[in-house]
Formats: sequence, C-alpha cells, structure tokens
Amino acid sequence: MNNAIDIERLHYRVGKAFEIKDLDLHIPTGSIYGFLGPNGSGKTTTIRLILGLLRPLSGRITVLGDPMPEQHARVLGRIGYVPEQPHLDGTLTVRELIDFQSAFYPRWDRTRADELVQRFELDGDQLFGRLSKGQKAKLMILLALAQCGDLLVLDEPTDGLDPVVRRDILSALLTYVSERRATIFISSHLVHELERVCDWVAVMDNGRLITEAPMEKLKHGTKRLIVTGAPGEISNAPFRVLIREATNGAGENWVVGDWEPGMTSFFDGLGATVRDVIDLDLEDGFVELLRSFRTKAGGRA
Amino acid sequence: MFHGIDARSPIPLYVQIAERVRLAIATGTLGSAAPLPSVRQLAAELRVNPATVMQAYRDLEAEGFVETRHGAGTFVRELAPGRRARERSQHAIGLVRKLLAEARRSGVSLPELQRALEAELGVKTT
Repeated sequence: MNNAIDIERLHYRVGKAFEIKDLDLHIPTGSIYGFLGPNGSGKTTTIRLILGLLRPLSGRITVLGDPMPEQHARVLGRIGYVPEQPHLDGTLTVRELIDFQSAFYPRWDRTRADELVQRFELDGDQLFGRLSKGQKAKLMILLALAQCGDLLVLDEPTDGLDPVVRRDILSALLTYVSERRATIFISSHLVHELERVCDWVAVMDNGRLITEAPMEKLKHGTKRLIVTGAPGEISNAPFRVLIREATNGAGENWVVGDWEPGMTSFFDGLGATVRDVIDLDLEDGFVELLRSFRTKAGGRA
Repeated sequence: MFHGIDARSPIPLYVQIAERVRLAIATGTLGSAAPLPSVRQLAAELRVNPATVMQAYRDLEAEGFVETRHGAGTFVRELAPGRRARERSQHAIGLVRKLLAEARRSGVSLPELQRALEAELGVKTT
C-alpha cells in the first residue's frame, strides 16, 4: 500500500449551494500533506468524507487500505483526528478526558500522554471548559498523538492560535512523525506554516481541486515572468500559462506553472524576450493559482 | 548555527540546512567527531519535515563531511588537511557572487562597490 489515502472521482453534494466534484487526492504513506484552500472551499467536508462521517454520491475513498465509509469502524481506531472546533466535554478535567479517551484505543501510549502533558504545561486538574484556546488545542493534539494512529487528520489545527502555541504544536507533530512512520493530512489556510513542513500540497477552491503536487515542484515550477514582444496567441508552450496581463511598464506579466530552467528558449522561437524570471513563494503561488482558476471558471460560466 | 533558515526562499530547505552544517564544519564550529543534532531533534526545533533533515544529512554524507553510525547518530568526519580551508574559500566565492548579483540588480557600479568596500575595511585594494 503506497498511499495512506486515495480519493477517486469523488462527488458529494448537500442541497443546491455546495458540491464537491471530480475530486482526486493521493496522500502518500509517510508524507506530511498540506490541504490548502480559502475558507468555504470544501476542506472540512472533504475531511469528513475521508473519515466516513459523510457518504459520497459517487466515487471511491480508500483510507489505510480500507474502503470508506464501509469500513469506518475498523479504520477510525488508526486515525488521530483533530476537528476544527473543540468537541470535548467542558465539565471534565484534563486528566479525566485523557483517561476517558484512552479507553477507546488499544494502542494508547500512556508515556507519551504524560510527556505531552508536561511539555504542553497542561494542568491535569483543570476543567476543559476553563482552558484557554491554546490549551484546548494542545490537549486535542495530545489526545490524537497518544492514540498512536498511523494517520493524523488535522483540520486547521493552529488556526487562531498565538505563535508560541503554534510552534509547540508543530514541534510535537514533527517529533511524532520522526519516531513513527505516520502520515499527516493537515488542512490550513496558513500557507507559510505549511511551507516549512509539508512535502505534498493540494489546493482546493469552491469544491474543486486546483492542483496536487510535491511541494518542491509546486514552489519551483511556479514563476512570474516579465515578457515583451509575445504574440497574442501562443500554442505548444512547454509550461502552463496561469495568468497573462499587461504591466504598467514595458511588457506583460505572466504567471506560469510547470516551469523548468531553460524554458526561456521557447520565447526565442516566438521572437519574444523574457526580461525577468521571478521566484514566487508558496503564498504568492497559491494566490496566483486561485486567481487563475477563478478567472477561467468565471469565463466558462 | 541554523538561525534564519527561510522556507520562502527559492533555495530548498534541505540545501539550506546542509549549507549551514558545511559552513560550521569549514569554520571549525563543528570539529572532527562532533555530533550533529538528531533528525528528530532538528526537525522539531526548526519545525521542518524530518524527511528534509534526512535529505540534508544524506547529502552531507555523500560529500564526505559526516558519517552516520547506525543507532548512534551522525558525526563530523575526520577531514583531509586543507579541506576546511577549501570550503571556506568556496563560501567566500559564494558571498562575493551574491554581493555582485545584488549590486547589478540595484544598479551599483563596480567602482562604487570597490569604494564602499575600501571605506568599510579601511584599506586600499588597489
């Protein structure tokens, strides 16, 4: 089994307002996979489909080798899931919640749980309802890690947290994956945070997948070009043209995907000149991908 | 040693990490037989993917700077005499190239650059 999660031609709809269509995702075992998209793009719905909490209209979902939602009872014991909203009973203490949770998981790692209580500076006697937002997030991560799953599914785990808490949580996750060959599927709109840790990235918008690629490929294949003298229509380009627009100064501003060094020679054949090739970081690339996708979607409608 | 690793840079993170270690070895910050941080430790500290750290260590090993002893960790190797000095010259060349590229981009001329260097160092270079 090469992939921890495989999704093929997934279709899901609720009501008329929102649908997920033609979704294909492949999450390699052992990867840290970043699932990016603006709010409302379908990230949480996709996660709920992966966990077997929702039933797709059509398509195939395989998680840790088993079909979902059919085998969810078997699979869920091997998945550490941290939902976007804290879902624990506010009237229980930290210690009670840890004991409660541990009863459901045969592989529960008591040592790790104790270690993380220390590391996260949690007070075992505190009521969950009384914890700060950051402490709640830390406890949920602790519970997901101590169950020793093969797959962690984290829905915006650091959204709205201060930088110190975000740092502690990320460090704990990375320690976990360096000790065990676990897969992490992490959704976020905090692009910079994922840029450091992920080796794969998918970008969603409006229920559709825009791209799925290894992080390095996405980062290094997306460039901004300053081009002069290019004809209005081009064909057979070895790269993808995402955006093409006039600049204030001379020439045009192009954003291209699948770019490789040496591709400037393509422009020589057109009698055009590439004035500059500018690197984009993940956030710039992400924004340009969305802009291009929305322009094209708008054009079709 | 790893201060200022930049995920937004077009230079891949594993290249940046390997570069820092190479420099620390070249300048003697890391002497022979000095241990490198464990993959687990460094990944958590820098908040990067453990695979990124492993890739950096593999590259350093292939270049003969470090060796990984199974179960014990990764250590700086005994280097041939002159190799540290050679690495430092390599690094110096890299710094000068970066400076020249930056000067060209911002339209600073060579004589201007030279005057600035002389003023900074307090010596004449010609």
